[in-house]
Amino acid sequence: MDVKVTKTIDERGEVCPVPDVDTKRAWKSMKSGEVLEVLVDYPLSKERIPANAEKAGHKVLAIEETGPSEWRILIQIGGKE
Amino acid sequence: MEAIIFGLITGLAFGWILQRGRVCFNSAFRDLYLMKDNFLFKAITLAMAIELLVFPLMAQFGWIKLNPKPLNIVGQIVGGFIFGMGMVLAGGCASGTTYRVGEGNTTSWVAAFTYALTATAVKHGGLNGLLKAISRFTVKVSPTTSANLYDPKVGPTLATALHINHWIIAIIFSALLFWYVFGTKTTKRPDAKMSWKAIGLWLVPVAAFGFWSSYITGRHYGLGITGGWVSITQMYTQGKMLNWEGAEVLGIIIAAFISALAAKEFKFRVPKRGVAYLQTAIGGTFLGLGAALAFGCNIGNYFTGIPQLGIGSLIAGVCFILGNWFMSWLLYGRS
Repeated sequence: MDVKVTKTIDERGEVCPVPDVDTKRAWKSMKSGEVLEVLVDYPLSKERIPANAEKAGHKVLAIEETGPSEWRILIQIGGKE
Repeated sequence: MEAIIFGLITGLAFGWILQRGRVCFNSAFRDLYLMKDNFLFKAITLAMAIELLVFPLMAQFGWIKLNPKPLNIVGQIVGGFIFGMGMVLAGGCASGTTYRVGEGNTTSWVAAFTYALTATAVKHGGLNGLLKAISRFTVKVSPTTSANLYDPKVGPTLATALHINHWIIAIIFSALLFWYVFGTKTTKRPDAKMSWKAIGLWLVPVAAFGFWSSYITGRHYGLGITGGWVSITQMYTQGKMLNWEGAEVLGIIIAAFISALAAKEFKFRVPKRGVAYLQTAIGGTFLGLGAALAFGCNIGNYFTGIPQLGIGSLIAGVCFILGNWFMSWLLYGRS
């Protein structure tokens, strides 16, 4: 997906729940409409982060597979309203 | 030899469910507090509600005898809290760390290594003094209530302490858990590969088969993890024969590896921050120290001991959760 990414966090290889917590901290520091890119390689993170983002009122633009057990998640801050 | 085969079979089934269901007690406890999410906690609680009835039933039929862990108020409070903190630092509890070894998480390899080494040191090696220092608090009893269900000398249970028939307490306890599981709201996870009910139900036959097969081959207990890592360490360093639990742990790793490979979820995962290895090394040390002092980990104490109504396991279980919440708050809760 081709969108302007405001901020990228690379959570590959990180220990659970660091990816979830870092993602939460990242979107708290961002403005509405900005796009957060999260790189993960743990299947559970790929499932939990988008679900938590939706819950928090953000919009999940895409979950792309970028390699074997690697994903790129794009979240638009506050995009759900 | 039979013990090894039975242990391996149990471990293979257990590892498959742990991997597919992503059953991590660390996240089950933590998510209750951090994410207000009870999906995994309910899966585990459902399994325990059924175990509460299945274990005494198996004992009633004479297939096994219940053998709850000894009570040691100091070991279970202090060790339980240390273990609870350790699972957050290690990024997984005893079982979670073990199945993630098979998924290729290099941080879990480090955690498993320090966990195995430290547990062995406390049980049989240079740190054994710690266990000796608290040994005078250890309580074992010869049950007079429901004695037909128990081994001759066991840790005290709610039944033996209150002198109320084991069945009565087990049924009330189980009913309370069922009420919690089905009577309260469950967090939805539509994207999960296994539903929480499926995870809970699959865990029960594994726990039952594990208890039976371990019992008839001479190890009077059900599922566990810590003793297995100790057995593997002793096999490697002292040439001792692998026991049922050691074979079970190997089975978990093998099944998690195959299951992850089949689901295209296997990967050598390496963190960008090197300090993550230091954190998981400390976490594994805490797991080993805590589990050895508390006489068991989240599987031996929480998942297998509480359903036998063991008082020591109940105390350890509460402290696992408190330690987990404390460390989760310290690392991730304060924003």
